[in-house]
Amino acid sequence: MGDVQEMVILVTNSLGLHARPAGKISREAQRYAASITIHSQDAEADAKSILDVLTLAAPQGTELTLRAHGPDAALALEGLSRLFEEKFGEER
Amino acid sequence: MSSAKILHGIPVSAGVAIGRAYVLSRCHFSGTARQAVGGVDVPVEIQRLDRAFDAARDDLERILMLVPEDLKEHAAIIESHLMMLKDQKFRKRCLDHIASAQINAEWALERGVGEVEEIFAAINDEYLQQRMQDVRLVAERVLAKLSGRETGLKAITHRAILLAHDLTPADTIELEVNKIMAFATAQGGKTSHAGILARSLQIPAVVGVEDLVETVPEGQIIILDGFHGRVILSPDEEELARYTELQAQFESYQATIMRSCHLPAETIDGYRVQVLANIELFEEVVAVNDNGGEGIGLYRSEYSYLARSKMPTEEELTEIYMDLAALVAPKKLVIRTLDVGADKLMRSQTPSEGNPALGLRAIRYCLKNRDVFRTQLRAILKASVLGNVSIMFPMISGLQELVEAKKFYREVQRELHAEGVSFREDMPLGIMIEVPSAVSTADFLAREVDFFSIGTNDLIQYTLGIDRTNKDVSYLYQPLHPAIVRSIKWVVDSAHRAGIEVCLCGELAADPFCIPVIMGMQMDSISLGPHAIPGIKRIIRQASMEECTALLKQVMASQSVSRNNKLVRDMIFRRFPEELMFYASRLDEDFS
Repeated sequence: MGDVQEMVILVTNSLGLHARPAGKISREAQRYAASITIHSQDAEADAKSILDVLTLAAPQGTELTLRAHGPDAALALEGLSRLFEEKFGEER
Repeated sequence: MSSAKILHGIPVSAGVAIGRAYVLSRCHFSGTARQAVGGVDVPVEIQRLDRAFDAARDDLERILMLVPEDLKEHAAIIESHLMMLKDQKFRKRCLDHIASAQINAEWALERGVGEVEEIFAAINDEYLQQRMQDVRLVAERVLAKLSGRETGLKAITHRAILLAHDLTPADTIELEVNKIMAFATAQGGKTSHAGILARSLQIPAVVGVEDLVETVPEGQIIILDGFHGRVILSPDEEELARYTELQAQFESYQATIMRSCHLPAETIDGYRVQVLANIELFEEVVAVNDNGGEGIGLYRSEYSYLARSKMPTEEELTEIYMDLAALVAPKKLVIRTLDVGADKLMRSQTPSEGNPALGLRAIRYCLKNRDVFRTQLRAILKASVLGNVSIMFPMISGLQELVEAKKFYREVQRELHAEGVSFREDMPLGIMIEVPSAVSTADFLAREVDFFSIGTNDLIQYTLGIDRTNKDVSYLYQPLHPAIVRSIKWVVDSAHRAGIEVCLCGELAADPFCIPVIMGMQMDSISLGPHAIPGIKRIIRQASMEECTALLKQVMASQSVSRNNKLVRDMIFRRFPEELMFYASRLDEDFS
């Protein structure tokens, strides 16, 4: 089933997508069968590749689009968006 | 004339070490064997590189398993390194180079890293450029596997002073403590994890040393001075003698303070202060007992809430508090209720706050999230039957807030009563005094509680209006600022007028230079990190209340921080020259 899901999300943690959040994103993304990409204004990254996510270099306030394609696309977006909402468990 | 060359850095852990330098070298890409390969060698090289990736990954996974509980923070960094090694896209990119460019594994890896570097460099982001270091560290692990050489920490065969550009979290986990006498790093600041590690291992350490790795030849005898933040290269006889002496003095000083750490903290003229400990983890109770702590003055209860996906249940909390109270008994245990901001709690969906330090945290959060508060209060009340537990509310900012919190506390007590659950009705109830408005109204607040605990870290920040982790303003973090001294004095006097006890917790309590002033105020108890207890007890046991009172009088009359700093420095110099010697680093930092 070619389920494609999309979601716009905001980077809210103050340090932006540095190594730690990028690691969390790619680890979470790898849990799903769906192929997942993250799009910024001028770049696209494979959510399962930490290096790709890092290259987005998205600072706080950046708007990103999550796009998932696959059987568990909706679940994947839910899982990933939760990480963003929780600011990757960073700001205490 | 001394022939020695001295490198300067930031002292992060006290002590002296004299020994051979061991320079932690990683495989660097400069000088790797670049070879063109072709034909049958291509699949061989591909397999070599693939296996090196796997081996490096296995190493990190093993290290990750070894991360001790108290270094959890570092695990996340190791995990992100591991993610890079598991990054299929990166690996594939490197492997592809072997076939497409007909080059060997090392060269292909180098190219792959180079590409990432280019991508990163193209993005104008300072943070990301620093992360390039992570990528390189990870690649160096793979390279080490390719070369088949054991590099890094495992190669240390004799006790040595470790010198490194930086110690990665994985390195610090791998450190074989018995082989490291001390360490110095080129990178890092006062709060870097390397410093935290050194202090917990109780080995001397200096960080932020410029030109460190480049200038020190392997195997050379060097001196590491963890008091003043120095690394002394090619020391002469005279220096070796001087530092051997200092080392011996420090060791005997430590032995002395450890020997007397179980004696009461009583001044020579008979004033006794109770010395308690601040803890966060269960395991720390051992250190408290070993170092002569007379109880737990501050148990930070946050740990049970953080780093987990669900709020702890009443049963879980009750068990933790009961176990801890039983372990500490007959000494007392002061449990501080949840002191976190909404944003610190996992799974919370609260919007971000512009200013968390002034936001919805501690008692404010608890009063807004009554269910969370109720669960904790019930657990503490249930543990109160053991008889040695006290409860304390953090961040009270005024009388109304306190009355509100107490009202709810009584409500919870009534609930338990109705359910037939037993608890100690007169469990002592205290509050943290750490907000300036609580200081000014301390006389009102004192009538409502059984004890005060002054939290100096927050109090100093809020009173002086500075964020001390901000290096541009941290010079304003002055514990002996007249505003701070007056605040503390007023709180102590207000407490005593109302007939209640007052404790001082926070870094000030562990500062040898401030303790005589604190004593002069007739503090009833102090609460500090377990490892600082023996040294502080020693000062108290040798001081007289008479001189502390006289010092306080001078400090209270002074209008300037620098005069206050000079007054305490003079007293320590006159009365406690050993402390001056061993804590010189703190003096330089705090009182410059």
